Amino acid sequence: MLAIALTLFAAPRFGIAAGDSGDAPDLMQFRQEIDSLKGSEAAERRRVERDEKHIEELENQLKRLETQNQKLGKTASTLEINETKFSGDTEQRLRELQNQVAAKTSQPDFQSEMKRYLGTNQLTIAGAAAGSFIYDKQTAQNTFSLEFEPVLLYRLNDWILFEGTIEASLPPGSEAHFALPVATAQIFLNDYLEVNAGIFDQPFGDWYEDQSPFWVNRFITAPLLYGAEPIVPPTDIGVQLRGGAQWGALGQDVDYTAWIANGPSYDPAIPKPVVGQTLNPENNIATNTNGRAFGGRFRFYPFPLDSGLGRLEVGASTYDGKWLDSNWLYSWGVSAAYLFKDLQARAEYAESYRQMPTGSAPDNRQGWYVQAGYFLQHLPSTRISDELDDTLRRLELLVRYSGINQRAIVADEITTTPAIGFSGSPSIFSPHAREVALGIDYWIEPSIVWQTEFDLELPGRGGSQFAFNGASTPKFSAIGATANDKALLTQLSIGF
Amino acid sequence: MAAMRPIIGIASEGQTKEQRELFVTGAKLWPVYCAQCHNARPGSQFSPAQWDAITMHMRTQSNMPAKDIRAITEFLKQAR
Repeated sequence: MLAIALTLFAAPRFGIAAGDSGDAPDLMQFRQEIDSLKGSEAAERRRVERDEKHIEELENQLKRLETQNQKLGKTASTLEINETKFSGDTEQRLRELQNQVAAKTSQPDFQSEMKRYLGTNQLTIAGAAAGSFIYDKQTAQNTFSLEFEPVLLYRLNDWILFEGTIEASLPPGSEAHFALPVATAQIFLNDYLEVNAGIFDQPFGDWYEDQSPFWVNRFITAPLLYGAEPIVPPTDIGVQLRGGAQWGALGQDVDYTAWIANGPSYDPAIPKPVVGQTLNPENNIATNTNGRAFGGRFRFYPFPLDSGLGRLEVGASTYDGKWLDSNWLYSWGVSAAYLFKDLQARAEYAESYRQMPTGSAPDNRQGWYVQAGYFLQHLPSTRISDELDDTLRRLELLVRYSGINQRAIVADEITTTPAIGFSGSPSIFSPHAREVALGIDYWIEPSIVWQTEFDLELPGRGGSQFAFNGASTPKFSAIGATANDKALLTQLSIGF
Repeated sequence: MAAMRPIIGIASEGQTKEQRELFVTGAKLWPVYCAQCHNARPGSQFSPAQWDAITMHMRTQSNMPAKDIRAITEFLKQAR
């Protein structure tokens, strides 16, 4: 195209030049221009050729790139297919593993494996500990006190359990006090009959067995009839038969306990039996009689669980045994406990009749208590602060009234040494002791409680007193009413 | 006061029908029967093996019917 254009452009000028023959400078100029154009044409041709070559190279590169792109696309497809397949395989394998894990570690299997690993014989330690500060106004004493009561439970299998309660305390003085108030073998023969043999809490009423542990007792002290001057022995050694059954709807139950044991014994430090003598407090292993003691307790629960009436228990107990050949201690009692929402209340009454050797009137005693407690856990908000609400809702307010009547007291047995659960007030040792206990419990956890108790000792009229003072024959005297007293106790009780 | 904190009990998939029934009954009995003497303690406080021993002990202490203590035991072992 460029060559043709140049020719057309050059032709008219050459014609004009022929018409002017003889004009040599012009002709020379034309030739020079033609040569110049020819040179330009050659350069242009070379440039076109270079461009065409470059275009060809670019086209080749493009083809190579397209080829490579096709290859990459194929590779990507292959990888995508492989990834999909791999992902599917992985998920399937994962599902298989999850199924295997779930199958191998389901809870029943895990528990079964753990049981197999642990074996059937299992030792469990439960129990309680308490630390107290005790102040009594009349004796002007105050002291700290500490007691530790681990309960060792050795489960041999699902029908035999051994239990041992170790009592370790630090009374004032330089020695620790240790006792073994409970050491039993509990053999469950069937759903309705259990044999419980050994040293056990006296299953009379509800106190010794069920209410006496530190963190279970809502108060720090025991009611008077189960305290320093008890009506029946706190522990005994023997054999019990016991069990329970549902007689109606869920919650309507009955339970029974029948036992034979060594029987009661009294303070051996007293040289001659006298009215008002104190029963031995624990580990009551008496061998001074030729007879055994017999006890029975029956409890009845009338309300169905779904009735909305709460849980009521009414019970009756008896305990009769020789404390000396031909001399019996007869006792009986009734008890009731009621639980309804945040209210818990219980009451007991008991009497004992102790035959005395010839020449002495019988040793009759009566004792009772009634107590109530109310949890503030559903208290409306004070709208002051959440912390205050939480603190108030952990409180339980308590009141208890207890009393005991006995014809005489033994001066030599009066102790004013405070200990866990005992304020040391001498007013408790009165023929007609009466006590009002006010309490406030702060529940830190369901089995950890900080308890504070204020006791008003209000003994009634006087009675008789025996005093040996080292002699073998007591001195008898009539005494008037004992002075009132006040005591304050605070205690941290931990059930574990 | 049964327990100051809510107790979460979960009936696990591995439970048999009988275990599930015991669990449900135990959940009803636990706050009432235990609280009759003391605050009901949460299942998480002890291991299932420990509960086996403790509830045997509590069956003696309370004389509660055997089937009820079995239900409470099942509940305490699962409620954790």
